Amino acid sequence: MFETGIRQFRLAWGMTQGRRLNPGNVARLVDDVLATIAEFGEPGRDAGELIDGPMADPAARLEVANRSLRRTARRLAAQSPFYARRFASANVDPAKLDVAGLRAIPVTVKADLMERPGDFRCTDVPAYLATRTTGTTGRPAEVWLSRYEMELWPALGALASVLRGELGPGDVMQVNLSSRGAVAMHTSATSCRLAGAGYRPLGIVPPEAALDSLAEGGATILLTTPSYLGELVVAARQAGLGAGDFRLRRLVVGGEVLSASLVRAATATFGVPNVDDPYSMTEIVPVTGRSCSQRHQHHDLNVGLTELIDLDTGEPAAPGALGTLVITPYFPYRDCTPVFRFDTRDVARRLPDEPLRCELAGVPATSQILGKADQLLRLPSGEVVTPRQLIEAIEALPAEPWPARYRATVSDDTGRIRLTLPASAIAGYGAAEAGRHFAAAGLDVDLEIVGNDQAASLRRTRSDMHETTFGSQHALVGA
Amino acid sequence: MSLPIFPIPQWEQSLTLFFIIITGATLVCAGALTYFRRVRMDRPPVGTFNARDVVILLIFIGILPFVYGWLPDTVVTCLLAVTFGSALYIGYRPVLGAAGIWLAIGLLLGFNIWSSHHLLGTIPGWQVWYTEQSVTVGLSAVAVCNLYVQGGMKLRHVAWLSLGLAGYDVLFASYYPLTGRLLARYVTHPFTPVLGMRFGGVDYAVGLGDLLVYSLFFVATYKAYGAQAAKIAAAVIVVMGGFATAFLPFLFNLHNANLDTLIPAQSLFGPFAFVTYLWMKRHYGRERTMAEYLASQGDAAAASQVERAPAPEPASI
Repeated sequence: MFETGIRQFRLAWGMTQGRRLNPGNVARLVDDVLATIAEFGEPGRDAGELIDGPMADPAARLEVANRSLRRTARRLAAQSPFYARRFASANVDPAKLDVAGLRAIPVTVKADLMERPGDFRCTDVPAYLATRTTGTTGRPAEVWLSRYEMELWPALGALASVLRGELGPGDVMQVNLSSRGAVAMHTSATSCRLAGAGYRPLGIVPPEAALDSLAEGGATILLTTPSYLGELVVAARQAGLGAGDFRLRRLVVGGEVLSASLVRAATATFGVPNVDDPYSMTEIVPVTGRSCSQRHQHHDLNVGLTELIDLDTGEPAAPGALGTLVITPYFPYRDCTPVFRFDTRDVARRLPDEPLRCELAGVPATSQILGKADQLLRLPSGEVVTPRQLIEAIEALPAEPWPARYRATVSDDTGRIRLTLPASAIAGYGAAEAGRHFAAAGLDVDLEIVGNDQAASLRRTRSDMHETTFGSQHALVGA
Repeated sequence: MSLPIFPIPQWEQSLTLFFIIITGATLVCAGALTYFRRVRMDRPPVGTFNARDVVILLIFIGILPFVYGWLPDTVVTCLLAVTFGSALYIGYRPVLGAAGIWLAIGLLLGFNIWSSHHLLGTIPGWQVWYTEQSVTVGLSAVAVCNLYVQGGMKLRHVAWLSLGLAGYDVLFASYYPLTGRLLARYVTHPFTPVLGMRFGGVDYAVGLGDLLVYSLFFVATYKAYGAQAAKIAAAVIVVMGGFATAFLPFLFNLHNANLDTLIPAQSLFGPFAFVTYLWMKRHYGRERTMAEYLASQGDAAAASQVERAPAPEPASI
């Protein structure tokens, strides 16, 4: 108990002073939390403040943000060639930077990171691990990480998870993500180790193999993508598996739009109360967002600053308007290849200026992620249709075509949405009926139906990054 | 060979001391158990008592007498006031509320300081002072006992602490009599950490540390193994903490040149407490956690947590 107090003080001191944290200290705090839960059944009352900080007060939030921005900018100006140039050209003094003056610094876009990755690397820290984005939206970007980062993030993640009761001894986490996702795989594996949980990394294997492992291997937590979850639900139904066949207590997905219909199907099939849909992205780790019961996306305040920038004006989005998430991870949480005002191109809508009433009301929020900015459809009427609107409508079709495969464009002639679907999406449901379904969802579409063999080419999903096994390959016998 | 002449026969002194120890231990143990069953203290979000805390406590207890011996009496009084005030605040704020607790602490500590300076000239004055002192010490022992046990201290930790204190007592009461010197120097000052009474010019007292260990042993046993085991713990306290401690000087004719006798109570109690713990562990099995204890008392919130990690019921339940 005495040592735990000292460890908490060291962590709090490091966070407030902006010094590199000791990952070993955080890891030992995880042990302390596990011991606390073993003795008392749950952490003490103020556990939330330990992970979320005392951030309910807007003035305190602004003060923390200003100090963290200055600290981060000062380091980048000294250690990152890219940002040294950027701050100089913007005529910004990092020591005087604050949230209000942030817009003087142009956003960093993915192209910057791809063209000059070496310029982003800080010169005062050795690189340890390279990770690439999956490249689902184009060419992958490479991000180098330090050993410190790869020790700190899982420790902080494990601390938050065990405090929230999301991970602990007795859990087995099955991971069906691309095995090349180095950060996610490494972080989840280490978090499980620190939390005393089992870890089963399977990759994007055939859904049947993943289901066997889920059902027989006793996994309690499944970490995957929405598209692969859709494939699992379909495969489970075809195999006649239901809630009684699994021990799952949590489903966690990320990286894609998760539809409400898939949530309903997955919770019923796997017997879990909800599907967690946190927000994260390789370029801006370790900044994350959490979804709540009212389907808001709440953005972590401790490790980074999240702005919602209007897609057209570049100014902060007005209430109800769409914007792109621009994220700055703070030092000392991001170390080796930091980014400053990184434009994720992930679109969300600003919530009305009124108090939140959800369980995470103390943490600022936007709407759920609505899709990528370059996939928005702008209709001549001025209306903007988001990928989420399309995916929600498609995945709600009676054929339950998970994951949604579609192509959507705006016709130059009619100004209407031309929506291409595989035949299986409207199976047993004529095109006219489907048209009415989309109209009821507020989407005025012209449908084009193609063969099922073209489905995968319509929209690439993360579940397409198949990883073969000897069992899934055709053997060449007798060669 | 000349024999010392006692104003009061030593068997009578031993009997009176036994009465004082048993009264103090009974009041403190009963108070601590009642508090434990009825009041839930705030605890930090993370942290539970562990073996290293026992070591830290023993080191702290080992160093403290030297610090007290080195510091001027006024500073010692201030430190003790802070210590007692903190213990009372932590322990009784959940009961009295924020305003009530400060008023109570102010009255209790204020009267303690006043009585130490104005009441010690007569036997009745001493008795009033001892009564007030005993109330402060007893309440503090109840609070600290619950702070530790509700903070996750297990019977295992109490047993090891007792064993450590046994060695400490032998060292500092017998071979290097620092405890006796400190007590002799400080006894008329405010916040003397003893519970006792003066009868016929003789002081009979039991130390705060002893009372704390007895109550820890009693309440931790109750938490770990239930009421039946707690009765066994109570018997050990009565026999080794009370009877043996009080009658040892009589049986072995122990006294010093000032006719004062400082009995290293923990050196008698500690080993027996440790052996009792080993026996209980063998007989009853694993100790209950705080969550399991609360679940057994029908605490719904704790029960829902315990469902996630079922544990075997103690044999005594």
